[in-house]
Amino acid sequence: MDTLKVRDAKDVEQAVRAAIANEQPLEIIGHGSKRMIGQPMATNALLDLSALNSVKSYEPNELIITVEAGAPLADVKSLIDSKNQRFAFEPMEAAPLLGAPAAGTIGGMIAAGLAGPRRIQAGAARDHLLGAQAVSGFGDSFKAGGRVVKNVTGYDLCKLLAGSWGTLAVMTEVTLKVMPRPESERTLVLRGLDDATANRAMTAALGSPYDVSGAAHVPRSVLRDAVGALGGLGSPRTALTLVRLEGITASAVDRAASLANLLSRFGTAETIEDERSVAIWECVRDVEPFAAKGALGAWPVWRIVCPPAAGSALGECLVRETGGDVLYDWGGGLIWTATPPKPDAQAALVRQRAAAAGGHATLLRAPEEVRRQVDVFQPASPGVRALSERVRQGFDPKAILNRGRMTRG
Amino acid sequence: MSIKMPAPDQAVLDRRSTIVAALRAIVPGEGVIDSAAEMLPYESDGLMAYRQPPMVVVLPDTTEQVSKVLKYCFEQGIKVVPRGSGTSLSGGSLPLADAVLLGLGKFKRIREVDFDNRVVVTEPGVTNLAISQAVAHAGFYYAPDPSSQIACSIGGNVAENSGGVHCLKYGMTTNNVLGCEIVLMTGEILSIGGKTAESAGYDLMGVITGSEGLLGVIAEITVRILQKPETARALMVGFAEVEAAGECVAQIIGNGIIPGGMEMMDKPAIHAAEAFVHAGYPLDVEALLIIELDGPTVEVDELIKRVEKIAQGCGSTVCLISNSEAERNLFWAGRKAAFPAVGRISPDYLCMDGTIPRGALPKALARIRELSVKYGLQCANVFHAGDGNLHPLILYDANQPGEIERAEAFGADILRCCVELGGVLTGEHGVGIEKRDLMPEMFSDIDLNQQQRVKCAFDAQGLLNPGKVFPTLHRCAELGRMHVHAGKLAFPDLPRF
Repeated sequence: MDTLKVRDAKDVEQAVRAAIANEQPLEIIGHGSKRMIGQPMATNALLDLSALNSVKSYEPNELIITVEAGAPLADVKSLIDSKNQRFAFEPMEAAPLLGAPAAGTIGGMIAAGLAGPRRIQAGAARDHLLGAQAVSGFGDSFKAGGRVVKNVTGYDLCKLLAGSWGTLAVMTEVTLKVMPRPESERTLVLRGLDDATANRAMTAALGSPYDVSGAAHVPRSVLRDAVGALGGLGSPRTALTLVRLEGITASAVDRAASLANLLSRFGTAETIEDERSVAIWECVRDVEPFAAKGALGAWPVWRIVCPPAAGSALGECLVRETGGDVLYDWGGGLIWTATPPKPDAQAALVRQRAAAAGGHATLLRAPEEVRRQVDVFQPASPGVRALSERVRQGFDPKAILNRGRMTRG
Repeated sequence: MSIKMPAPDQAVLDRRSTIVAALRAIVPGEGVIDSAAEMLPYESDGLMAYRQPPMVVVLPDTTEQVSKVLKYCFEQGIKVVPRGSGTSLSGGSLPLADAVLLGLGKFKRIREVDFDNRVVVTEPGVTNLAISQAVAHAGFYYAPDPSSQIACSIGGNVAENSGGVHCLKYGMTTNNVLGCEIVLMTGEILSIGGKTAESAGYDLMGVITGSEGLLGVIAEITVRILQKPETARALMVGFAEVEAAGECVAQIIGNGIIPGGMEMMDKPAIHAAEAFVHAGYPLDVEALLIIELDGPTVEVDELIKRVEKIAQGCGSTVCLISNSEAERNLFWAGRKAAFPAVGRISPDYLCMDGTIPRGALPKALARIRELSVKYGLQCANVFHAGDGNLHPLILYDANQPGEIERAEAFGADILRCCVELGGVLTGEHGVGIEKRDLMPEMFSDIDLNQQQRVKCAFDAQGLLNPGKVFPTLHRCAELGRMHVHAGKLAFPDLPRF
């Protein structure tokens, strides 16, 4: 397979134009950390953006950063960390879950539309992408959005680019919103709740005025082999329900006390602070119990998004019917599900149950032969599917970019 | 009228009575308005310098009727202009002489309040404020709060991606909407998103939000609701120099404090507001900041102290802190009444809406002062200082020959200045017709063509709200064509780098 290692946006334009002329579809990669997500692609050349890796500008007082798409996520995170700032949407590191060697790039983070536990408070990559330069499947470099936080000038093409898995355009440069890192964080831990009770506790927490920035539940079955897991917090056969509060210290402490009181009808909460709290949320963010190196590393993993209050009913049903395990984030609105290996990853069952609960499911991890058999992304209704296809053609009529990654056949 | 709208199609106008009859067959009773007198209220929106009677007004009250009206118009090649409450400040719902004006005013029902999932499912004609009122008893509210919130509709908010004072902390409409039912120009009804944090596939909700009624007609919306902060307090801080106020804003943000709202007014705006509402604003300052902090009491009390210290460090000459809801509301009263207050001191005014990087504020203000002298027109400035969104109010008198043209040229220069400083043409009011012809200041032909190809995916005939947003309309077939770039497509092989 050809690899085109581009140096700048002009190179990308040239590569895409040549690919159009030769009807040679391109696979777009940064570090390749999320290459195994999506349908196996009908491409025969790689467009490698990893050399497009510079930070163009970083203005902490403006709360924005502009970087080239191939910039390593880890480097950019440590840069903004040095100014006590962060990406509020808490992008996951997909590598441990997928067993990928590299940590990923900024462009990959946006293209995958990542969002971590803080999505319930701060949104996803889509909400923090202010602007982008990208090369469409016409081979033209275009601008989307701007470099300020408040902007309604023209269509918001940034929203389409985020989460489009490289099927609309090749992003070459992005401007992102950054936010100040809060002084402190506190996590309330309730032990031993069943899924339904935990779901109700999280709903109560998220419906409170205490500005919860994380609400996750780790059922006891998930912790069966993992005493040392979850930042050392796990204990065998005891479920953990976690609720996070962040802010200035006085506020985090005060809200933790108020919230513990509110949740007392569900159980007694212990409070963990700062570094320990950070560690446990990284485990939740990166779905540590289902890590590629762990006991369930060979199981397919589904990422199911549903109405939060419907989470436990759906999760319990999936456990019962697939024989798998689940982990809840977003107060029940995100269910990570690992299912015992089957040639179809039990797609029909998972999708039917998710849809019945008002949700949708993505097969985030599965061997290539499974992904050939199964729709990785939730198939849309015929009308939405047709509209999405017309939108895609408006960016890339010849399907040069990541052809077939989001839809099968 | 200096903005040219698409020329009316005489063939459509000639068929007016047939069209009215066909619409009456879809929407019975009073839902079709065709008399000149009754159509008067629909001639204009919040951009009142522009007026145009529509061909006919139709006010459906079911999604099925909306679908049938659009399908009929699509088949007949008739343009359609959607309208919510008609509060657009950029002319987004300005009628066209040969278009059907499709009003969503009858979609006034909140369909579902779901506290467990923290969402409200509503019809588009419900006002922004009515959503907050419907959930207030349980301590919830809908966060985006455009200043027209008592009148503006949630459907219009989605179309314009409306902001408001609190969007610095809580985001714009796009960050608070989860799903919608949309009717395409063909009449096709699609359901997008729902009660979930994200939807599957491309983020169509994201591109529909802020599309200014050009992509589809929204018939139902699912919005996120939040718990009201426990308390809110405000500071009123005056400065002898605008630069010092700008520095204060930068330091607050730089210290990791994101206030619920952070507004700035310049001297002319302060004087106009004080004369109108007597909020106790200091009259001897060049810039006034109103900074609101919200959250738990212990947090707000602590942050108030920190902000006070920052303000003093920046040389504030006045710094008052609200100690009651009454005081807080009084601090805000002048700011909230700034537009009508300016309306009292000038026969007419134009409200601009550019955004700049926060740090460029002193430069932008200096430039606006120069332009004010150049054009011989006064300008009062109010800003959403936290996010760099400027609202210069240009004072003029439409009865003086040439003044509106001067005011518009002044406004256009301000927006060009915003783009030069790294900002954008509009932060929250939308492009509409008002900023349409300035789009090339910010976007190249390639950029605009890419946006219009999205339009083609939704409305290939260009029948929905034409003449808005884009300065030049292209046919979709033309936009979809792959151009050969000076023979560069003829590469025999992939390049190597």
